[in-house]
Amino acid sequence: MKAPQKVLLTITIASLLTACGSTPQRVEELETAREVVSQVESSPRAGIAAGNVAEARKALDRANRLAGSGGKVNDIEFEAQVATRQAQIANEKILTAQAREEIEKGTAERQAVLVSAREAEARRRATQAKVAEQRANALEQELAELKAKKTDRGMVLTLGDVLFDTGLATLKPGAYGTIDRLASVLKQAPDRRVMIEGHTDSVGSDEYNQGLSERRAMAVQTALLERGVQANQITAVGKGKHYPVASNDNAAGRQQNRRVEMIFTDSSS
Amino acid sequence: MRAQITRPGSLSLLSTSVLMLSLVSGCSSISEVTRERVARSESSVQQAQQAVGRSEAGAVELQRAKDNLEQAKAALNDKQAQRAERLAQLAQLDAELATAKSQSGAARRAADELIESIKTLKQEAARSTETD
Repeated sequence: MKAPQKVLLTITIASLLTACGSTPQRVEELETAREVVSQVESSPRAGIAAGNVAEARKALDRANRLAGSGGKVNDIEFEAQVATRQAQIANEKILTAQAREEIEKGTAERQAVLVSAREAEARRRATQAKVAEQRANALEQELAELKAKKTDRGMVLTLGDVLFDTGLATLKPGAYGTIDRLASVLKQAPDRRVMIEGHTDSVGSDEYNQGLSERRAMAVQTALLERGVQANQITAVGKGKHYPVASNDNAAGRQQNRRVEMIFTDSSS
Repeated sequence: MRAQITRPGSLSLLSTSVLMLSLVSGCSSISEVTRERVARSESSVQQAQQAVGRSEAGAVELQRAKDNLEQAKAALNDKQAQRAERLAQLAQLDAELATAKSQSGAARRAADELIESIKTLKQEAARSTETD
């Protein structure tokens, strides 16, 4: 009974000795671990993942000790793998912290950019409003100089009979100055609208007067369009003899009634 | 290796030999600690699965965690305690790494998108000042 027991013990001890007696060798996993761990340790942000960095160092030290004392490759590899993973986890945590820092800074910067963009937009609008106001004032001033009358319907400028050829719808050159000035201010104030109304005296048939009033209104419209005023700013209608401004019983009154009225409305209307 | 030093007489030679052999081959019976270790790894892997989802960041590490966990369970069945412990520990670390990678990937994406949006905003602001 003694002999087999002795043999068994000898084999056991021999196997243990063999494991401890192997010479140190290059373990690829250990090389990787050394590189990765020292990299993360040298990061200025290593403190963010201090726990993982410390665990990585401990495992690497164990692996190094095993390698130095001829430990089993399996054991060295395991400790090296632990070290590498801990270092990689630390690295990812550092990267996350970096990204979050960028997000924090970026959020503040984005806010600042948005605020300055809004301010610039407000300035731009203020300038636009000022320009629009100046243009509107220019129109009012021009109309005042042309002796337009302020009425419930807006500013009304009357082009008298003398500016048309008698019984015809052609403008006399004398009207050109007024038309030029109106065209120029209307072009500067594209949001302003003008209604052109033709009127006649009571002499002649309704049909004739209606036609003449329309043709005269359209003659003024055409003149403005030729000078570059937008079509959507102008409406032209003929009103015939139905809206006299003076008596049709005498020549002076009838001349007053033969007219073209230009009604300037605000942009809002 | 301290197990080598035994006092002859206190234990029979046979039982000493059996103890030593079992230590060397790692064939000792599985302790509750080892089982818990594997169970903990499994729940870490499940957490990592949720964190990673379908994203690319951490997918490789998650797969490695799953493989290690499977091997750890197989080692448990084979009563290889040390192997099970180690594989469970590696599975645990791989799961943590997968989670950390998916988090850093998401944070990086968010940061890049933010930086890009700031760039666009600045360009738009510059354009609208030019047109004034």
